[in-house]
Amino acid sequence: MSLPRSNYDPRRVCLNPFPNFSLGKYRRTIGVYLAGGLFALANWTFLDAAILSAHAHAPYGEPELPPPVHVTFADWVPGICSLLGMLVVNLIDKDRVRGEEGFQDPRAVWRARLFLFIGFALMAGGLAGSVALLVLKYITHAYEEQYTYYGYASVSQNVALMLSAIVLWMSQSVGNEYEYNLSI
Amino acid sequence: MGHAGIKTVILLSFVLAVGFLMIILSCALYSNWLPLLVALTFVLAPLPNAVFAHCGGDDFSTDYEGSGPVDLGRFITAIIVVTGFALPLVLAHSEIIRPAACAMSIIGGALVYGTILAYTATFRQEESDYD
Repeated sequence: MSLPRSNYDPRRVCLNPFPNFSLGKYRRTIGVYLAGGLFALANWTFLDAAILSAHAHAPYGEPELPPPVHVTFADWVPGICSLLGMLVVNLIDKDRVRGEEGFQDPRAVWRARLFLFIGFALMAGGLAGSVALLVLKYITHAYEEQYTYYGYASVSQNVALMLSAIVLWMSQSVGNEYEYNLSI
Repeated sequence: MGHAGIKTVILLSFVLAVGFLMIILSCALYSNWLPLLVALTFVLAPLPNAVFAHCGGDDFSTDYEGSGPVDLGRFITAIIVVTGFALPLVLAHSEIIRPAACAMSIIGGALVYGTILAYTATFRQEESDYD
């Protein structure tokens, strides 16, 4: 026998109260496909900016004028942070984070939550870093619109990576709940 | 569709040929062979699902439940499909290929991938008839 899962547990610090979506029995599949699509979209958005920067040419009419700014390694750092954070978040066993019964080691729950925190901190850090980069490198220098696009591409890359991680997490945890109902 | 027969196969192969024709035309008309990568991408797209399909799911789990390897296969499939559509757009945006070549390679890639999907669907239904 097993107890029904309570909605509120006073021991829990890091609640993940995602609403239960009911997309039918294919919700896990749809969620995973959607997460993969968002992941690819995020990386292609940034790669578009990088390729555009590498092939940027001088404006027509004034061929001596080089492009004032390029995508450098600093632009890649927020995306790499988000990528690492997404990897960390998705490598964690989700039952451990919930702190369900049946694990011998109670410290495992604590460690899992610590790593979850590190993963989300990496993703949020990537997002904040991309916004900071957009403001400091592109907006304050008042470049033209075709150059500030690099910054906006980085921000949208990190937003889409975060959305992808959230969608993946949600679809997989919904699947776990279904499994739990079956095991009763 | 179990008795779809030879007409479906002929139709699908015709659509596949048209798709490859579009991609090759988009390369050859402008003598820039980068859009050929789109064909490679879409041909590779069903591979992860095929590889990981037999990893998850024993006799006690249901089909749609999914497991880690199956999810990974679907994730990689979605990445490859989006890559196939994004690659010509990115190339056209940075003026490496022409916009017309971009449109033609996207249409051709969609035809190729649609053919693969349709073929997989008919084949899978025949298999389930067998069960």
